[in-house]
Amino acid sequence: MTPQAKLIFTTSLLLGTTVTISSNHWVTAWAGLEINTLAILPLIAKSHHPRAIEAATKYFLTQATASALLLFSSMTNAWFTGQWDITQLAHPTSCLILTSAIAMKLGLVPFHFWFPEVLQGAPLITALLLSTVMKFPPMSLLLMTSPSLNPTLLTCMAIFSIALGGWMGLNQTQVRKILAFSSITHLGWMAIILSYNPKLTLLNLYLYITMTAAVFLTLNSMKTTKLSTLMTAWTKAPALSATLLLTMLSLAGLPPLTGFLPKWMIIQELTKQNMAAAATMISLLSLLSLFFYLRLAYCATITLPPHTTNHMKQWHINHPTNTSIAILTITSITLLPISPMISTII
Amino acid sequence: MALAVMLLDGASFHGGCCRHRALLSFLGPLLSNSKSYSSYRRPGAEPKKKLSWQNVDFSFKKSIDHLKTQLSLLKEESKDFLQGPGGHALRQHVLEQTRVLWQFRSQEDLNKWVISSDVEIGGKSKAYIKLGRNNQAALLYGTLNTEVPRDGETKYSGYCSMRSKPAVGSFNRKKYYDWSNFNTLYLRVRGDGRPWMVNIYTDPYFSHQKDDLYSYFMFTRGGPYWEEIKIPFSKFFFSSRGRVQDNQHPVWLDKVRTLGFTIGDKVDGPFQLEIDFIGLLNDRAHTEEFAYETYDKNTPV
Repeated sequence: MTPQAKLIFTTSLLLGTTVTISSNHWVTAWAGLEINTLAILPLIAKSHHPRAIEAATKYFLTQATASALLLFSSMTNAWFTGQWDITQLAHPTSCLILTSAIAMKLGLVPFHFWFPEVLQGAPLITALLLSTVMKFPPMSLLLMTSPSLNPTLLTCMAIFSIALGGWMGLNQTQVRKILAFSSITHLGWMAIILSYNPKLTLLNLYLYITMTAAVFLTLNSMKTTKLSTLMTAWTKAPALSATLLLTMLSLAGLPPLTGFLPKWMIIQELTKQNMAAAATMISLLSLLSLFFYLRLAYCATITLPPHTTNHMKQWHINHPTNTSIAILTITSITLLPISPMISTII
Repeated sequence: MALAVMLLDGASFHGGCCRHRALLSFLGPLLSNSKSYSSYRRPGAEPKKKLSWQNVDFSFKKSIDHLKTQLSLLKEESKDFLQGPGGHALRQHVLEQTRVLWQFRSQEDLNKWVISSDVEIGGKSKAYIKLGRNNQAALLYGTLNTEVPRDGETKYSGYCSMRSKPAVGSFNRKKYYDWSNFNTLYLRVRGDGRPWMVNIYTDPYFSHQKDDLYSYFMFTRGGPYWEEIKIPFSKFFFSSRGRVQDNQHPVWLDKVRTLGFTIGDKVDGPFQLEIDFIGLLNDRAHTEEFAYETYDKNTPV
């Protein structure tokens, strides 16, 4: 793709995200979401492979439906309450429709079916954008409307997301699909605490974005998309494989890594809100996703394969590792000791 | 439909107005059984005797049996899921360098394949499959006939093909093969010197891409000795509806549905192919990613 085209698409992505986050009228929020959807489509379909086109088509159809539902919910709210303010979402039907629209945008169960396929069809950096940047606008809308949303619906969707994200990620051999299921699981964690403490949702989102960006950028520099290629990636950059192990375990939520912080805070808040059963359930369901994170970590670092690689991209001279990978990896591994400071900032 | 006809008949009797009768005669072809008004039927196709919705069997016992079969399939699938990717432990997925996909030792192995030829479009080729000597191979044989069917629109004819039946999971869900660990197709065949085409179909989600096919050629020797043919997946070129496309890309092996062999070398006469087994190989010496159009299409300015 020409640099000018790439510039236009990335600027449009930033524009769409900013427009939605800073809007207080439903129509501007919707406009920002549409700009985002349209801008990322060429990035997904860049290679013109039929699978990439399929991923772009699936993405467009689901996101367009979700945008239409969002607009419909805001319209019904405007019909009943007479105003289009995002924070004043009063009518319960509008809240329900909005929750399902945002769930479709984010990829929460039961609207998650598009997510692994789209991520599998997209190149690694576009997959990174889909998992991180494209989560900002819908999440900001959820945060703005969080007082009016139905906690039962959110809790149900969250528990099913964590369960399904863990269960379906178990037997995947394609790394992008595994990261899609990890995204679904993390979105479940974000959704379950939304009605009680939206700041924890925001904290979880920020830390998830840091960790996922670190993982995707590491995988991009190793040029791996499959488990079997991941096994032989250590030959070129052993230190990168080692940090990938730690970042994966951080995504899994193991102490003393950063990923433990949001899970700990969420479980604490849920227990305070008399939802200990839900907290226990989601902690146990996270063990499923721990299994596949550990599997990735084993394949990347701990196990030595009995053969050399015949994946040509891993034979080429590699560029020195990006500074951003270093910064993101350090943030995603070592932030737990300063968690009191983080809680005050968020 | 029949009820509507009766109602209209009743209407014409009671109304007695010729307007109703005209309406009935106008609607007649639409309302009657569509056998006599079917759309164009290709020369080789058999006339449809029963419409598909007339085949529905409302037997309760049969549906319970069907449900039991599907539930047992679902149970098998769950057990395989607990084992690991593809039903085997992960260490097998990571370590394996060869895998036998189909081998022909019994009739049920043959039943996993479908034979077709240009009889479907009205041609005269014949193709048959049977087990070879000592049940050690499948024998695909027949006669190719390039005589064009005279229906005014077909220009070429003369092909026979053998295609694997797509894998179907419980409740008729599509199952795909994951061949991403491998980079070569390995075939043990004994041909008769005729060139064959090997086709991989990835069964895409949207119908716009349903004619996409990845193909390559298999040149057989005629000798009495068995041949082991290795075709790297990097050599498969992309075609759609039989036309080789300009935008070429390698086949993605994580979702493959069927494999097929076709003969269509425009030579009239008998053909014969014995296949012992079809397998996959991870050739460590083969490092080519893709064989075609490897130049940079959009060179940066």
